[in-house]
Amino acid sequence: MKDYNCKNQCTWCDGCGNYGILTAIKRALIELGLAPHQVLICFDVGCHGNMSDTLVGYRFHGLHGRVISLSAGAALANPDVPVIAFGGDGACFSEGVGHLVHAIRSNYNMTFILHNNGNYGLTTGQASSLTPRGEKMDMAPLGTVEEPLNSMDFVFSLNPSFVARGFNGNISQLTNILKSAIYHQGFSYVDVLQACPTYNKFVSHEYLLEKCYECEPMNFETARKAAVDTSEKIATGVLYQDKTRPTFLDQLEARKGIDSRLVDEVKKVDVSALLAKFS
Amino acid sequence: MSRISIKIVGAQGQGVNSVGEMCAKGLKRAGYCVFGEREYMSVIMNGHSSYQLEISNEKVRSTQEKVDVLVTFNHHGIKKDLKDIKENGILIHQTPQWKFGEEDQKFIDVNSIKVIYLPTEDILKKLNAKPVLGNVLITSVVWSLIERSSDELKEMVRERFGHKKDLLALNYLCIDEGVKFSGSGSEKVCLPEPDEKWKSQLLITGSQAMGLGAIHAGCRALFGYPMTPASPLLTFLAEIQGESKMLVKQAEDEITAVQMMVGAMHAGTRAMTATSGGGYDLMTETISLCGISETPAVIVLAQRPGPGTGLPTWTAQGDLLMAVSAGHGEFPRAVMSVSDAEDSFSLMMDAFNFSEEFQIPVTVLTEKQIAESLFTTEISDQKSVVRRGRLVEGDGLKLLRATDRYDPDAPDGVSARWLPGSDAPTYCAQSYEHNADGSFDESAENAIAQAKKRMKKMEGLKRALPEPEYFGSENTDVLIVSWGSNKNAILDLIEDESVAYLHYTYLWPLKTERLVELAAKAKKTVLVEGNVQGQLGMLIKQECGLEFNERVLKFDGRATGLSNLNLSVL
Repeated sequence: MKDYNCKNQCTWCDGCGNYGILTAIKRALIELGLAPHQVLICFDVGCHGNMSDTLVGYRFHGLHGRVISLSAGAALANPDVPVIAFGGDGACFSEGVGHLVHAIRSNYNMTFILHNNGNYGLTTGQASSLTPRGEKMDMAPLGTVEEPLNSMDFVFSLNPSFVARGFNGNISQLTNILKSAIYHQGFSYVDVLQACPTYNKFVSHEYLLEKCYECEPMNFETARKAAVDTSEKIATGVLYQDKTRPTFLDQLEARKGIDSRLVDEVKKVDVSALLAKFS
Repeated sequence: MSRISIKIVGAQGQGVNSVGEMCAKGLKRAGYCVFGEREYMSVIMNGHSSYQLEISNEKVRSTQEKVDVLVTFNHHGIKKDLKDIKENGILIHQTPQWKFGEEDQKFIDVNSIKVIYLPTEDILKKLNAKPVLGNVLITSVVWSLIERSSDELKEMVRERFGHKKDLLALNYLCIDEGVKFSGSGSEKVCLPEPDEKWKSQLLITGSQAMGLGAIHAGCRALFGYPMTPASPLLTFLAEIQGESKMLVKQAEDEITAVQMMVGAMHAGTRAMTATSGGGYDLMTETISLCGISETPAVIVLAQRPGPGTGLPTWTAQGDLLMAVSAGHGEFPRAVMSVSDAEDSFSLMMDAFNFSEEFQIPVTVLTEKQIAESLFTTEISDQKSVVRRGRLVEGDGLKLLRATDRYDPDAPDGVSARWLPGSDAPTYCAQSYEHNADGSFDESAENAIAQAKKRMKKMEGLKRALPEPEYFGSENTDVLIVSWGSNKNAILDLIEDESVAYLHYTYLWPLKTERLVELAAKAKKTVLVEGNVQGQLGMLIKQECGLEFNERVLKFDGRATGLSNLNLSVL
């Protein structure tokens, strides 16, 4: 574990769900045998993004809402370096929701981990599009009036190749989920339910502890139902995986049969044959 | 300079471009320098469009206002473009029983214009050929008019349709009919003597040259979102991906395109994106990200008139100041502009090299006028080399510390950069203000050190960039200063007039030493730009205080032509 430890001070609140996620990702990487220099971990902007300061490894802490596109570009350029992207529910389901839609559709080979705390923590507790209707939030002191997005129904409607849900209170299960997600060839979507004791007064750590149960992967329809229906219990684990779906890069006709990676191909190219077509 | 202009006009979708391109190719092969300029409306079908060819045995790069031959597909063209014909010029039209209005007939009589009616429909019906073959028939008529052999045309058609025998035979028939039709009349257009040297040159658009320049520079990925006039570049690179093996990705929007490019650049390949003004607006936050994270980036900005959606299919130079200042915060960057097909090719290597050497975003400006015009040009690439600056690979990795990545004491402000996956200490590429290894640091001392480190790169970059290029004789009274596509009309002007020209390819950081020196000697300085405010002039004044005696500013969506300069400059 100490390979991934970092000297910087951690700035999360007491009881923040991010601690559990940080522990789980470090454990997952170590158990997968990946050294810090063998991965690229990308962060959106939000409380979760401050994780960029709390572990080592190649990291890119980019702009709010854009982590999926940034990570996809890196993953395409060098498929040998696993790319793991972290984002919050504000970044992923409001500011950058289009990127999520198309990354799932494109099936880039990367892992996306959603820190789902139901609000914007770093900007002091505004509603996200996953905050329940009627909650009194920072920019909605009289209560929000919009219905929240049903994020799991939305994700399943995009025909994903990997969907998992974890909980920061079950680190050993989350570690296994993250390992499966990183190992999966294609776009892995991991929804991590987490407590935000400072701003989220509607879903507490205790509530999640009581509601979450572990389950095995299911077929698409069953998984979708289990993922969407959280009224009684919340299903966690790798809910759905399609191991046969080709990734974006695998399907590109122009790149078929080429072993080298884009990062190995930077050199001056003789284009005289292409130029000759214009004579 | 002796030159002939032929303009083909009609509704979009009627084949204006294919006639223009076929004529251009044939003429270049016959030993002429050809310049082809497209104008069209922002619709798919039925908008009025034109393709104007300038033909000479000397270098020609811009269009004249008046043409020698006007070929029109429909009666709108007769009405709209008749007055563009020179004295003693020729009109070829295809509208049966067309009666000219009183004013038009007077114009025809006064200017001794020869009117030729080509019964395209009847001829095609006789041959049992589809309307699309009208293009070949028209080309053949033009070809006979300029007294070229129909064998040259047949050779081109054979190259294109050789594998389809029936179609080829029908094409030949159309060519023969065109020759027969022209043979019956006495009208001829006299071209200057051809010159062998043009035969070996290329006939290529700015977009095609830029695409090949990017491949040549080692660019391995293109991320883009369609937007005129960047689309021809995106489309061209997509078309040849089978040969280039480049990764071509149409992203869901411009923000995605630029982010994917930055991700790919960070991983260590060479990648680019291309867009027009509106798309560039969306990319600006990411350009700022590149500034602080010191990630190389190459963005092609193909200009068209704004603001807003503006005039999507027309040309402009209105985005220079945006490119120079886009993105929040202060950070180093380079802005450069192409002017023709030749530097559309060569500047891509420069763009990638400077972006990697200085770890900065580089914007390459082009314009609709360059992107879609056909140039007769040489393209040579022998001297260019890939330069990647302080990128550390191999044995050098062993000596690295994490704090080398953003070392504030790095010479010239350029610190070591190494790629994810390298067996070396790791760092964080940070969009937050950070210290040497990319960790958060909100201290005042660190903010100053890192801001200075980054901005210091501008000094080295400015030293590395070439001075603006000087054309014309030493002892002239008039000094013209401009950038981008204006160069073409200005150089055509220099052929005949005693003026000098200083051309800016590298626009930011701006070098002014040579300009100040030359301006002091000139009796008159003239700024030529395709925008309302004289944006380069504003930058020049800001950087060295120089003000121009005259400004020729054009912002009607049309390219700067010889007529604009003749009137205003001399």
